[in-house]
Amino acid sequence: MTVAAGIGLGERQAGAGAPPPAVTERRSRRKLTPYLLLVPGMAWLAIFFIAPIVTLLSTSTQTRPEGAEIGVFTQTFRFANYLDALEGYGPEFGRSFLYALLATVLALAISYPLAYAIAFKAGRWRNLLLVLVVAPFFVSFLLRTVAWKQILADDAWVADLLRALSVIGPQTHIINSAPAVVIGITYNFLPFMILPIYASLERVDPRLMEAAGDLYSSALTTFRKVTIPLSMPGIVAGTLLTFIPAAGDYVNSALLGNKDTTMVGNVIDSRFLRVVDYPTAAVLSVTLMASILVLVGFYIRRAGTEELV
Amino acid sequence: MKHLPEDPMIRELVRAQLSRRALLRGAGGVGVAAALAACGTGGGTAATASKPKPAVKDRSASDKIVRWANWPAYLDYDEKSKKYPTLEQFQQKTGIKASYAEDVDDNDSYYGKVQGQLKNGQDIGKDVIVLTDWMAGRMVRQGYVQKLDKANIPNATNLNPALQDVDFDKGRNYSLTWQSGYAGLAYRKDKVGRELKTISDLWAPDLKGKVVVLSEFRDTVGLLMMEQGVDISANFSEDDFNKGLDELQKQVDSGQIRQVKGNSYLEDLRSGNAIAAIGWSGDILLARFEEEDDNYTFTLPESGGTLWSDNLMVPIASPHKKNAETLMNYYYDPTVAATVAAYVNYICPVDGAKAAMEKIDPSLVDSPLIFPTEADLAKVKGFRTLSPDEETTYSEAFQKVIGN
Amino acid sequence: MSRASKGTAQGQVDGGRDLRIGNVTKRFGSFVAVDDLSLTVPSGSFFALLGPSGCGKTTTLRMVAGLEEPSEGSILIGDQDVTFAKPYRRPVNTVFQSYALFPHLDIFENVAFGLRRRGSKEVKKQVDDALELVELGGFAKRKPAQLSGGQQQRVALARAIVNNPAVLLLDEPLGALDLKLRRQMQIELKRIQTEVGLTFVHVTHDQEEAMTMADTIAVMNNGRIEQLGNPEELYESPTTTFVANFLGQSNLIRSSVTGTSGTDVQLEVHGGRLAMPQSRRNGATDDLLIGVRPEKIRISPTGQDANAEQNELLGGVVTDASFTGVSTQYLVRMPWGQELMVFAQNVGVGGVLAPGTQVDLRWDPAHTFALDGSLDAGAGVQRDEGATPVPVG
Repeated sequence: MTVAAGIGLGERQAGAGAPPPAVTERRSRRKLTPYLLLVPGMAWLAIFFIAPIVTLLSTSTQTRPEGAEIGVFTQTFRFANYLDALEGYGPEFGRSFLYALLATVLALAISYPLAYAIAFKAGRWRNLLLVLVVAPFFVSFLLRTVAWKQILADDAWVADLLRALSVIGPQTHIINSAPAVVIGITYNFLPFMILPIYASLERVDPRLMEAAGDLYSSALTTFRKVTIPLSMPGIVAGTLLTFIPAAGDYVNSALLGNKDTTMVGNVIDSRFLRVVDYPTAAVLSVTLMASILVLVGFYIRRAGTEELV
Repeated sequence: MKHLPEDPMIRELVRAQLSRRALLRGAGGVGVAAALAACGTGGGTAATASKPKPAVKDRSASDKIVRWANWPAYLDYDEKSKKYPTLEQFQQKTGIKASYAEDVDDNDSYYGKVQGQLKNGQDIGKDVIVLTDWMAGRMVRQGYVQKLDKANIPNATNLNPALQDVDFDKGRNYSLTWQSGYAGLAYRKDKVGRELKTISDLWAPDLKGKVVVLSEFRDTVGLLMMEQGVDISANFSEDDFNKGLDELQKQVDSGQIRQVKGNSYLEDLRSGNAIAAIGWSGDILLARFEEEDDNYTFTLPESGGTLWSDNLMVPIASPHKKNAETLMNYYYDPTVAATVAAYVNYICPVDGAKAAMEKIDPSLVDSPLIFPTEADLAKVKGFRTLSPDEETTYSEAFQKVIGN
Repeated sequence: MSRASKGTAQGQVDGGRDLRIGNVTKRFGSFVAVDDLSLTVPSGSFFALLGPSGCGKTTTLRMVAGLEEPSEGSILIGDQDVTFAKPYRRPVNTVFQSYALFPHLDIFENVAFGLRRRGSKEVKKQVDDALELVELGGFAKRKPAQLSGGQQQRVALARAIVNNPAVLLLDEPLGALDLKLRRQMQIELKRIQTEVGLTFVHVTHDQEEAMTMADTIAVMNNGRIEQLGNPEELYESPTTTFVANFLGQSNLIRSSVTGTSGTDVQLEVHGGRLAMPQSRRNGATDDLLIGVRPEKIRISPTGQDANAEQNELLGGVVTDASFTGVSTQYLVRMPWGQELMVFAQNVGVGGVLAPGTQVDLRWDPAHTFALDGSLDAGAGVQRDEGATPVPVG
């Protein structure tokens, strides 16, 4: 920053009453200044994003030589690592995206009415409600998930109630099941959905809804044609903020799931920490990242948010 | 574990995090990113691990500190003063300032966190670390710990003879045992309604879906192998291991074993999700004590239990090795060891501690889980040290079976 | 709701669709915003509701639009009672003060919004026509944010007009525009109204705007209609001090009736004698406030231009003279202390009378109007526009 500012200052002095050559130099320097300002950011990105990504990519094609010490791998450019991993962990990938999708849809269904109520109906309770939405964040992610473990436990009231109502059989448990994992993910990422939707709804001018009513829209049509489109940026942001971390989540599956709810995150965790198989962990990470990128790219294009002002 | 909050719900949660070995697997996840980043710097591309050779001068004489990383609730703690009495005493006696941190919550995670630095021969900011046998073995093999100078640890001779010559550290040149424990049958007697004696007793139809097991393969598969007559401390074959694993697979797939995800078996046992388990002795004593429920039962299976130990070591590049050795020597004093044992409830490795216990808490003198009987010791085996290839293969196979 | 009739082509006047507001009262808690208001807006007229902020004009409009429900009374459009009908079930459209254009839709879709909701045929043609009408033919694909304030205003207008409503409501539609643009749009709005022949109900606090455009103006104050009539009637013959002061400026002078002579009323004003036509008298008592517009008064130095046919007030002193080009505005202090305002057209020679000059004021008796003396002479004075309040002597 100092460097850039210094150049800017010097250039101004040189430019004052300077002959044409100096002017051109000044211009080229002026063009340069914005790029110089980018340097700290780019350096940050290079050190903390690009370098790890390169390392990750490099690790993903390494192999463990026979008899080598644990944690020792050599670069053999074995791209078949990817095929092996995809072959071995297809269901885990499918599950990750399925659970993330279900949780995102659920979170949206829960969040939208809530955000709507806070934005338009809460009145003086608005701030309190917002604080309540954020409040769970003050508790560690782990503890919140562990709390669900208690809530959904076999002899806790939820299971007792459902059993009493014959919704579930006497031997069925809620905990350690796919629904429990989806519930956990939904719960943990709910604020990420509520807040952006609230933020975009809060900016919707209520007079636009009056105008829609004036132009022959019933309340439902107004909601469909005006409120929802205007809150689209919030919906897109919320679904992304929920879906992306949810697809990579492993805590919920580890705490609330069973061996049939394993997600990619769990496999990465176990390959990395338990088995010390860095290449497989890297392959899975790269693949997860790439598939999320592709999915999100399609989604944003479909949602057409770039057209929203 | 005597300093937990009053509120039962919060206590449950905190306990879930603190419990020595029933730690949430998720907690280890934080280490993934750090370790992932670290693995890049280490240049893990060399086929043979060249042992780090840092040029570190011991500054113990001038720098009178020792930094100790241990597992949660693994040292006597005084609720009122919020201090560790034996550690306070150590500081007064030696003038060495000790900084104690409950940094180790999982062998694998801790390894993941510090491995990158150790590989480069860097100081990890700890002078004493505590890791379980097999991980201690890995550290010794990879040259990540410093050789101990027994001259500075005269009390090391108090080490129980059975623990003196372990296969991962012949002659105990790099490590000293901190505490030991058993893995065996753990269950709630009132809920099960009978005594469990063998591992096969866990497969009774009425326990279907109510059984949980440890996610440490050396203990879980180890017990199954012992049931099948394999000596896990001897040179068993891969087939032997796979047979044990097959049994596990069968019980997991049939739903007999409820779930082995994460390391939360104790929580499942306490919440009633499970009523019988393959578990650790100390955890069950802890649960019995905390829940004030004598129905929490730990027993060694008839076919035998596994024995594991956690070991004190000095990481490579620690500049306070002599201070660390002074600390080890202090904790190998029988009275100090007995004081710790009375608190942590694990098997005390120090000879003479039993006699010292008479003065500290006579009721514990006859506790077989602190001072094991000859009969018990005859029934337990330690899992032999695996070669890197074996470790990788077994670990991966086990993770697959439990759904990771 | 006769949807079929709403699909009719633009420009056709729906004859039997007068807007009739009958004894409507609207209360917000204990506050009475609209107080027993009745009025009829004939179909096809340009009607203005004029009054200061808080007079109840916007509330009245919102009740017609269906955005508020009346506490009492009824609202009819033609024979259809819409008092409690939902907004989307009324043949009414509104041009909002903020325009309320949908930011996520382009101009075309904004204008098409109402048509699409009613499943109208030929949306494209109707929208194109409407955009053409407001001279925004080439802007269909733009987003509202890409348009200037004046253009947005036209879109809002087109969006309402395209539905061919029985009544088009305009809520301070020009309020956000600058003065020059406002003038332009006033003319434009009037042109459009004439062209499409719809009933326009225009709410404004700007008397000039109302007078420029409206056929009929209802001046509202405190939730009631003070006076209703065409702009000229309201200006020349206000019936209340509020109207006299709110529409333009008035000199209001206390006087008492001394008798009648033919069609004239004889008055006494601070010792002087004046006359005025009986027909222009409002107020039955002998205590009256007589009014005369500043531009009706001729000002001349004392002793000049005496004329027995004229009303005369003698012995004034010029206290202030501002030359504005077209005219000169004088403040003249009268012997009884009141300052009267005089606008003198700069038609002759002789220049401006300097402050301190002794002057006489004269005007045609026919230009005099009289109001009930019990009214507040200061009511309706628009202080915010810089007019000096006229104290009454």
